[in-house]
Amino acid sequence: MTLQSQTSELLPGFDHAAFDSNAVFRVLLDALSRPGRIYDVPVSVATPDGLNATTTATLLAMADMDTTIWLSPTCVTKAATDHLKFHCGCPISDDVAKADFAVARIDDDLSFITHLSVGNAEYPDQSATLILMVDEISNAPAMKLTGPGIKDSHDLDIKKLPASFHAWRAENHHMFPCGVDVIFASPTKIAALSRTTRIEVI
Amino acid sequence: MEQLANNPADGATAYNFAYLDEQTKRMIRRALLKAVAIPGYQVPFAGREMPMPYGWGTGGVQVTAAVIGPNDTLKVIDQGADDTTNAVSIRQFFAKTANVATTEKTAEASIIQTRHRIPEKELREDQVLVYQVPIPEPLRFLEPRETETRKMHALEEYGLMHVKLYEDIARHGHIATTYAYPVMVDDRYVMDPSPTPKFDNPKMNNMAALQLFGAGREKRIYALPPYTKVKSLDFEDHPFEVQTWKDECGMCGAHDSYLDEVILDDQGNRMFVCSDTDYCAERQEAGHRGPQHHDQPLGNASREKAAE
Amino acid sequence: MYVAVKGGERAINNAHRLLAEQRRGDKKIAEIETDQIEQQLSLSVTRVMAEGSLYDRDLAALAIKQGRGDLIEAIFLMRAYRTTLPRFAFSKPIRTADMDVSRRISATFKDLPGGQILGPTFDYTHRLLDFTLMANSEDPLDAPSGEHPVDENMPRVLDDILNYEGLIQDEPVPVDDTAPVADLTREPIKFPAGRDLRLQNLTRGDEGFVLALGYSTQRGYANSHAFVGEIRYGTVSVEIEPEELGFAIDIGDIELTECETVNKFKGSKTKLPQFTRGYGLVFGQNERKAISMALVDRAMRADEMGEQIMGPAQDSEFVMEHSDNVQSTGFVEHIKLPHYVDFQGELELVRRMRAEVEERLAKLEADEAKSQPEAAE
Ligand SMILES: [Zn+2]
Repeated sequence: MTLQSQTSELLPGFDHAAFDSNAVFRVLLDALSRPGRIYDVPVSVATPDGLNATTTATLLAMADMDTTIWLSPTCVTKAATDHLKFHCGCPISDDVAKADFAVARIDDDLSFITHLSVGNAEYPDQSATLILMVDEISNAPAMKLTGPGIKDSHDLDIKKLPASFHAWRAENHHMFPCGVDVIFASPTKIAALSRTTRIEVI
Repeated sequence: MEQLANNPADGATAYNFAYLDEQTKRMIRRALLKAVAIPGYQVPFAGREMPMPYGWGTGGVQVTAAVIGPNDTLKVIDQGADDTTNAVSIRQFFAKTANVATTEKTAEASIIQTRHRIPEKELREDQVLVYQVPIPEPLRFLEPRETETRKMHALEEYGLMHVKLYEDIARHGHIATTYAYPVMVDDRYVMDPSPTPKFDNPKMNNMAALQLFGAGREKRIYALPPYTKVKSLDFEDHPFEVQTWKDECGMCGAHDSYLDEVILDDQGNRMFVCSDTDYCAERQEAGHRGPQHHDQPLGNASREKAAE
Repeated sequence: MYVAVKGGERAINNAHRLLAEQRRGDKKIAEIETDQIEQQLSLSVTRVMAEGSLYDRDLAALAIKQGRGDLIEAIFLMRAYRTTLPRFAFSKPIRTADMDVSRRISATFKDLPGGQILGPTFDYTHRLLDFTLMANSEDPLDAPSGEHPVDENMPRVLDDILNYEGLIQDEPVPVDDTAPVADLTREPIKFPAGRDLRLQNLTRGDEGFVLALGYSTQRGYANSHAFVGEIRYGTVSVEIEPEELGFAIDIGDIELTECETVNKFKGSKTKLPQFTRGYGLVFGQNERKAISMALVDRAMRADEMGEQIMGPAQDSEFVMEHSDNVQSTGFVEHIKLPHYVDFQGELELVRRMRAEVEERLAKLEADEAKSQPEAAE
């Protein structure tokens, strides 16, 4: 965290709304189209206490008054909520089932994830996206990913990813086309799991 | 860079980058992320009125506007050609509202917006193909009601589609669908590939590029992530097959491209040329010649002797 | 010799010039001004505002001029302009009960509180061409003002008069008038659609389409026999309540036509019969549209009323998917765009199938010829 981010003063958003949100979106589009590939986020943004830089950039690019955000107890700081309310105008809910985007840290209690909206058979798009702030993303062979977007397979390693995540994810994958998509957000990089992605834990 | 249209009534400067306001772009972008996560599923989106008519590519234009950034290079084709009037009009629109570089070369483009064709040249991982879609629902002509077709997709109830295709076989001895030929995506959703000729269907399978589909009037977005299994529907005794021509391209001699028929007179004389103008031009530049090639239509092309 | 057709870009630019030239017409004739359109073609202006979903008389006049009087083209121009406008606020619900009324009639009561006010209407004109208008010498007499001032109190026929006896289905004003209202320009339509979405769809729907559907309900393609309970036309004020102010401010007046129909009653031996209702509201003075809208609104309530669906006007998915003239005109006209790639596929298939049929017929003929001499023996 920078010093600046710990003050209660409002931090700036994107330098150039149109170009920066486009650049962040393109990274997200690539990441979800090619699950398991790791991308740098090409925009630097001021980061409020409670969030990390890539998560902040993701929300600035994707959230607005039409999306509800849920922040885990360790993320829901005044700085973070002020920042999102001011720059995105998005409602912030404490009801995880209402979330379009849910944000948590990897070492949080992740039991909330079973309450995320998965959409329904006719509208599977009405589901939540989970943004999980992590310390490190790498290509180490901890998980072997296959499925749409992946030629042959990708290896992916998310430091400290708990077994409970895999149990939930396996169940989630079976609900297809319903399900939750996951964005892993390290301080500088992003990788995603689409609900279609099959994971083999190595 | 394109020349800007000389139309004094257009005041493009008053609009945001790539025309759409940021909130609309975000709404489309969210739909796009869902679309790639559920390949072949049609995501409803609040399509906006665009300054070109519905049915003329407003869905593709909205998708392109949401995706395009200042560093992109855009190619627009209609029927495979860069210089058909509607392709020119859409290319001018983005050259004007987004000030992006445009190209006619498939290999140089980072985003290709298309109506009715997939380029012959194999697309790469760093390219995005955006399709203009008139009727996104592959079941629409079997069942006009959205409430019903949505149920059919939810229940994976695609029997009706197979019955329809089989009725064709019974009547004509062939599946009588030659374009907008339905495909099964990743063994789950039946999808309309847009009115591309079925010749192009095999290119969709496991394509390295991301494929995005926008239907503006019907307000649906769908997608095929790269390397996704796309299978044209067929039957064991009537396997899917693509169009073939006895002729070759009259200009470049290609045997492997989709050919348009050109009527030469009213005596039944005709010739065939590649519908993909860039593919044909590139082959001609490389010295390939078809039987009707007369000279160097590209100006500076090589002066090799045309095949007689 | 074949040369690929090039020059689409030049062709487009030239076409735009030709179009501008045709729009201007004979330069010896004075150019029409948008304020002339705004004042003298005011019903075109209000139709363009209504179906363009944008209340701006000057822009509508400009769109009509630019569209050479083609109203669907003008509506399209308004829509494409509207789509890029930021939303500053949502208005408070307007109150047509407080309308500054220019015309108000009821077909269900001969006289009623507030009275019948004929107002400006074509209704009783004889449709004879008035050649003095052509001679450019129109100078109408000033319209006399009414003998009595319009009543302040103008109770609404359905809510205040019929409902007093409980004779018509109750449609109470929602307690929470800040509750969200659906907006099909902001979110995709989902079926079954609520009445708010249906009414929005109808009020921006094509006048001809809504008229034809309304007409069809009167000819047996639905059964919802209607009387005009009330039509009122006039101006109402629009208010917004900015969050930071905490009180409403008036941002201007709009001209509206409202129609409420009294329809076929519903009830049973044990349930008190009540009339049902349809509702129409449209920008400007447009009674044709407001009445048609009310007829179709009532027809689309078939599900709610437990009625059998027997006509297209009752089928809200059908009505809502086909009412928008900007969508319809785009898609209908798009078939003039090149489709030669698709057509080539069809050509190839038809030629192949013809060849196969010919082959089959030839074979049959040959077999027959072969078998005939044998048969003769
Ligand atoms: Zn060729």
